Amino acid sequence: MTSRWKFRLIGGLVIAVLAAAIYFPILRRRVKRAARLQQQSEEQARRELTQPIVINPGDPRVKTKVFWASDTIDSTLVPVTVELPLSNDPVLRSKQVLNTLLAGPVDAELRTLPPDALLLAFYLLPDGTAIADFSEALATSIPSGIVSEQLAVDSITRTLEANVPQVQRLKILIHGQEVETLAGHLDLTGTFVVNTNPDQPPVKPSATPSGADKPASPAADKAPAPAPGTLTPDKAPGKLAQPERKP
Amino acid sequence: MVSPSQPPSQTQLPGPGTPPTQSASSPQGGGAGSVASPFSAQTQQAGLNIVVLDPAHGGTDPGARGTGGIRESEIVLDFVIQVRRALELQGFQVVQTRQGNENPSFDDRSATANAQRGAVFVTLHISSTGLPGTVRVYVNSDLPPVADSNGLIPWDRAQAPFLGLSRKFGDLVQGYLTPRFKGSPDAAQSASVRQLRTTAAPAIAIEISSVTVEDRADLDRMAPGVADAIARGAAAFKPSYVVAKTPGALP
Repeated sequence: MTSRWKFRLIGGLVIAVLAAAIYFPILRRRVKRAARLQQQSEEQARRELTQPIVINPGDPRVKTKVFWASDTIDSTLVPVTVELPLSNDPVLRSKQVLNTLLAGPVDAELRTLPPDALLLAFYLLPDGTAIADFSEALATSIPSGIVSEQLAVDSITRTLEANVPQVQRLKILIHGQEVETLAGHLDLTGTFVVNTNPDQPPVKPSATPSGADKPASPAADKAPAPAPGTLTPDKAPGKLAQPERKP
Repeated sequence: MVSPSQPPSQTQLPGPGTPPTQSASSPQGGGAGSVASPFSAQTQQAGLNIVVLDPAHGGTDPGARGTGGIRESEIVLDFVIQVRRALELQGFQVVQTRQGNENPSFDDRSATANAQRGAVFVTLHISSTGLPGTVRVYVNSDLPPVADSNGLIPWDRAQAPFLGLSRKFGDLVQGYLTPRFKGSPDAAQSASVRQLRTTAAPAIAIEISSVTVEDRADLDRMAPGVADAIARGAAAFKPSYVVAKTPGALP
């Protein structure tokens, strides 16, 4: 090979290396951008699928009470009134108010539910029992503790109570499954009392085995005080049935 | 929570003036015939004499975690040591649902309490939210009344007949806590605490705020006050609670 050809070959290689050095970072940026766009579109698609916030502008705008955490009193809820076009259909209406609750207040510190939690489905049975199915983030992202878990459930039940009179009790599912606790403390095996309006259709006994009903409002949240001087159980306990053992 | 392959260990340490006893009873309420019944020594004594302490979480479940590496499961175990000492000074026997870093199931913990006669149940927690330095006492929310005609209490609603007693006990303990820990509520709160629902005894949950403290010493300093309040609350509750002579009957 002549020195002339060697020079041409080396020159060609240098040009190729320079071109690669310029093009490679551009290519890498494009790949990253494409991945980000795909992720965003997946997230968008997921939200569109799971959060059908059906807002019909023709619906009457009503003052809606949404319960978020108080910024003055520790671990309590306060109603915040927002004006929303709400459907008259109780299922749609429930979805609308719960999605508003999930979206959170302006001050993120006053949230009661994790920002990444989603309402996957909502059903209302003829007897007034509602079933709300939340994404797993409700259980995994919520701060663990009795007070935080109680506040989360209370915010859900009280928001429904204030806006959807047809919902009498609520069962909470996580990703379609019944779970024992929300995040290690609060009992989710039963149903929670939402409305006890006597004008509503009578509620049949809960199908859940435990029936761990919880009053939703603070006023009703107090257990009846024991009769003074007679500190005995409300009913004869009798023998204790054994629990079903898990393998 | 994960159910361990072995039942939770339990020991009874005597209080002053009480003969030492060791119980190896099954946590399933005396289901095994070969083990000593915890009732035999207690049926002769009227009134509350045992406090079952439940350090929450443990094992693979650390509970609430602080940014500084504070783990709820470890702190409650340390708290229980001081609570136990305070209770023994008041003359109570103490039974623990776990001694070390195990994680008995909810049912196993309740079974430890349900196997006792003349006992109250206290489950200890540290929250991950709330005003640091405050303490809240919880009793179980209302449960549907027990209406079985066969004389058995459904396990899932074992707490139902005891709600009034639990409220009384919880209010007493909260009453001793609130003056020590400013910002705490004046009375016990209601919540659907899973651990309480299957416990057939006056039962309360105590939650201390919180793992968000910057220095773990801030929590450690609360332990003597919490221990003293529980012991005083149990002592104040004791005269009100009459225990049946035989298991399964009305107190």
